[in-house]
Amino acid sequence: MLFNKFFSRGKKEERVLEKIRSHIELLCKACEMFRQALEEGNSGSMRKISDLEREADGIKRKIISGIYDGAFLPYLRPDLCRFIENVDDVFDLLEDTAFSSMNIYLPGKIRDECFRIAFLNQRMCEMLLITFDAMVKGDDLREKVLAIRIYEKKIDDMKFGVLCDLRELSIDNYWHGKTLSDFVAGLTTISDIIEDASDHLQIIHLSMR
Amino acid sequence: MKVKEVMTTRVETIDGESTVFDAIERMIEKRIRSLVVKFPGEDVPDGIITARDIVFRVIAQKRNLREVKVSDVASRPLITTEQGASLSDVAKLMEESGVERVFIRDNNEIIGVVALLDIMAGTLIMRARGRNVI
Repeated sequence: MLFNKFFSRGKKEERVLEKIRSHIELLCKACEMFRQALEEGNSGSMRKISDLEREADGIKRKIISGIYDGAFLPYLRPDLCRFIENVDDVFDLLEDTAFSSMNIYLPGKIRDECFRIAFLNQRMCEMLLITFDAMVKGDDLREKVLAIRIYEKKIDDMKFGVLCDLRELSIDNYWHGKTLSDFVAGLTTISDIIEDASDHLQIIHLSMR
Repeated sequence: MKVKEVMTTRVETIDGESTVFDAIERMIEKRIRSLVVKFPGEDVPDGIITARDIVFRVIAQKRNLREVKVSDVASRPLITTEQGASLSDVAKLMEESGVERVFIRDNNEIIGVVALLDIMAGTLIMRARGRNVI
């Protein structure tokens, strides 16, 4: 298959692909931990998101070094790096959102919606991993990318409702209001970045045809 | 996949005595296509009013939006199912009842709504995950 020719499995490529996979797996773990911690109001678990973000940073550096150490054809490298940066951006945002969550009280009206958005973010990450695996195998990505878009659209619709509810809240403390707003913005932007990452996977896939 | 995963949890209600104009206002403001109709003080089940009901039964017939009551155009009863139902259960219920929306209940409380588009979206997600829905 043409895909295998360009994505040929030399040792360097194999090592990088394994690391990219573990980078996304770690993101799935972080999103799951975030969701559980949010539902349980567990600050201890929420703090551990920072540890996972640091671990992910280390993996990212190794991946980028591996790519510029000669893995993959040069024309593929920028898109691969952009994909890695997207995944890294999700880690950064997740860490910021986890931090915000520890300093707010979620009002009942938006609480359940935030739990659902965190759950859908976790599902999106899992789908990103499935999409990556499919790309490595050379399978068609169309259905996978569409599933990611469906999740993103769902979260976008929910975001509108949560923002409506937020505007109706009476805020008597500037920092509480700002942190709550930052939390919702972060929680609802994660899906946008995951969608960007999946778009990059599709670009890489198409550019190898 | 259970419907709980794809349902919309934002369910808005309106009093049956309100006007259709009130209903339109609420739907546009909340960007939704249906409202659960409550009949407080009456021993009748909840109903539903959809954008389709308003367009076909009120606007197309040139009735006055500010005079027609929601209860005059609402459909009853509300078609509901349990939150543990599968996508295919709900699809079958929609087909049998001839409705585009099924409300999800937790005991007697309405906790969400699933529309045709949600069934399609859920089915695609399951396919992408490599699982069969039906």
